[in-house]
Amino acid sequence: MTFTGLIGKICLYPLQLIIRACVAMGIHPNVLTFIGVLINAAAAIALARGRFIAAGVIMLVANIFDFIDGKVAHESNAVSAFGGFWDSVIDRFSDLALFLGLIYLYSSLQRTEYVLITALAMMFTIMTSYTRARAESLIKKCKVGFMERPERIVLFMIGAFTNRMAAVMWVILVLSVFTVADRIIYTYRELRDTRPEEAIA
Amino acid sequence: MKPSTPWRILWNAFFWTYERATWQYDVMVIAILAFVWLTPPDWLGDPMATGRGPIGWLIDTFLH
Repeated sequence: MTFTGLIGKICLYPLQLIIRACVAMGIHPNVLTFIGVLINAAAAIALARGRFIAAGVIMLVANIFDFIDGKVAHESNAVSAFGGFWDSVIDRFSDLALFLGLIYLYSSLQRTEYVLITALAMMFTIMTSYTRARAESLIKKCKVGFMERPERIVLFMIGAFTNRMAAVMWVILVLSVFTVADRIIYTYRELRDTRPEEAIA
Repeated sequence: MKPSTPWRILWNAFFWTYERATWQYDVMVIAILAFVWLTPPDWLGDPMATGRGPIGWLIDTFLH
C-alpha cells in the first residue's frame, strides 16, 4: 500500500462514523454542502485576520462536510443531478472564499506581490474546474492534471497549520497553471482525433 | 528521438495522468511537502512566516 493510500484509509474510518450518523439522522446531503461553505467562510475570515491555526482547524471541520455530502447522498439514496451541480457550485464559493481571505490579509500587510500571486492562484483554481467542466461537455472524460480540489484543500490546511502559506500559494499557482494547460492540450488531442459528429456537443 | 529520462520525469510530473494512491502520487506529495516545509520562508519573502527554515539552519550549521 502507498503512503497516501494508508493516510486515506486511516482518515476514512472516523469519517464513516460521521457519515453513518448523518444518514441515521436523515440530514439531507445538500444541507451538509451548504453548512460546509458557511464554515469555509469562517475559515476565510480567520485567514484574513492572520489566525492560521484557527483557520486550519475551521477548514478541517468544513472539509469534513465537503467530503461526506456525496457519501451521505449515496448511502441515503439521495443522489440527484441537482445535488452534483449544487456541490460543484458551492465548492467554487468555498475555494474563492479562502483565497479572498488571504488576499485581504496580504493587502492589509501591503504585500502587493503576494496579493498578485494569490489572485493568480485563485484564477487558475477556477480555470482548473472550468476547463474540466467545459471539456467534459465535449469529450467523455478530462481527468488529467495534479492540482485538483482535494490536493488544494490539504495544501491550504498544511499551509495554515505550519505557517507556510506563501510556499503553498506558489505550489498551488504553478501546479494549477500546468493542470489547466494539461486539460487544454488533452482536450485538443481528443477532439483532433474525433470527427465533429462524434463529439458530445 | 526518445526523450531523456529527466525530461520524461519532469514532463510526467507536470502533465499529470496518474491516479491518487499510486507510488508516483506519493513521490509528488513528498516533493511538494519538501518544498513547502524546507524552503526558507525568507527566500520566498513569506509575509507571515519568518526565519530561514530547515535548509537555512543546515546552511548556517554546516557551511558557515
